[in-house]
Amino acid sequence: MMKSSNRYTFMFALIVCVVCSFSLAAVSEGLREKKELNEVLDIKKNILKAVALKDPVDPKAKPQEVLKIYTDKIEEIVIDTKGQIVKGKKPEDIKEGRDLMPLYIYKEDGNVLAYCFPIEGKGLWSTLYGYFALEPDATTVRGMTFYKHGETPGLGAEIEKEWFLKNFKGKQIWDLSKGTLTPVVIVKGKVADTVPEEQRFYHVDGISGATMTCKGVNAILKHWINKYEAYFSRIRKI
Amino acid sequence: MMSGFFNKRDKKIVKEGLWDNNPVTFQVLGICSALAVTVQLKTALVMCGALTFVLCMSNVVISSLRNYIPGKIRIIVQLSVISSLVILADQFLKAYMYDVSKQLSVFVGLIITNCIVMGRAEAFAMQNPPLKSFWDGLGNSFGYSVILIIVGAFREVLGSGTLMGFPVIPEAAYQAGYVNCGVMVLAPGAFFLLGAIIWAQRAFSGYVENN
Repeated sequence: MMKSSNRYTFMFALIVCVVCSFSLAAVSEGLREKKELNEVLDIKKNILKAVALKDPVDPKAKPQEVLKIYTDKIEEIVIDTKGQIVKGKKPEDIKEGRDLMPLYIYKEDGNVLAYCFPIEGKGLWSTLYGYFALEPDATTVRGMTFYKHGETPGLGAEIEKEWFLKNFKGKQIWDLSKGTLTPVVIVKGKVADTVPEEQRFYHVDGISGATMTCKGVNAILKHWINKYEAYFSRIRKI
Repeated sequence: MMSGFFNKRDKKIVKEGLWDNNPVTFQVLGICSALAVTVQLKTALVMCGALTFVLCMSNVVISSLRNYIPGKIRIIVQLSVISSLVILADQFLKAYMYDVSKQLSVFVGLIITNCIVMGRAEAFAMQNPPLKSFWDGLGNSFGYSVILIIVGAFREVLGSGTLMGFPVIPEAAYQAGYVNCGVMVLAPGAFFLLGAIIWAQRAFSGYVENN
């Protein structure tokens, strides 16, 4: 067969395609379990981080250990938009577009220590994904994480850093005196310079150079805190 | 005839990629990824590893097939080989280095479009036997890696005050008013550094552009 003939060209292309696709399919299938475990583990680690465990997970902990801590301490429930618990459903059963929302409850010896829910929305360049956790009073912020985003490293990407996230801890999402919801707001600059004393309980310091990302985070918090209020208003003792 | 696994001629091939014909500073290829993944040294290192694997393997595979690849579809065949290798590397990263692969995100996938890989396949592997092509791939990927590591180290130290994630700028310096250089974490910072490196290398090697 001539090397320049059409038949040879077609045969060659066919063989290349078959060999490439077979080897890729084999590798992808062979590594599938490991990849899926990584993804699940990443999400669970972030929930555990957001609820601020009493004994934080050792960063070097083996996957099985993390999974065990997770199943021991976190109860997964599903709620609807009216804040009612939907029985017999797990977060992984929720399909896109259904009005069901997952809620993760951190319990230690039967006592609720935190409520945690996923948050997501637009930052500047990308969609931000994270978790937000409240204390059992459903008012005080316990923790927050971002685990997936595509913001500028060093600027917007600072939202995933400890120095920024720790400012949220202890903030209040409910104004007792007025009885209104006060989603946490990131200000431009320092809270101490810009926000009146009586409003500081729901404001945190901004990140310089990341105003747009912070605006996105503000909108995300407002959206999800309002959405989950249906549930939290039931458990909040006023 | 010279023989042996790594003789003088092979050494010359490796040196060619590393210095005389460095893909980043001389050919000015692979700039996109050189800007994108060099914010931290760690991501730069993983990227270098992935590129070295892809470039060496693609050179060897394409060189072994060079007498059989029909000229009409050679670019497509090269691309199929390269993209298969890139996806392989990406899958392994996802399975074994999940955190790093999350940071590198699309850039591992974009090795497919890294001009260095196809440039070497077309310019070298199509004309030379597998072992020689392997050395060429190694030389070029080391040439790329050296630049990435230099840029990555500078950007991380100047931009974030850390190296491989460990703080290197003493706390006292910050208290004395030292501030991390914000431009270094952005792409322009990498451009300035790359420009400086290219300038330094050309000043050293005495290379002059012919008009």
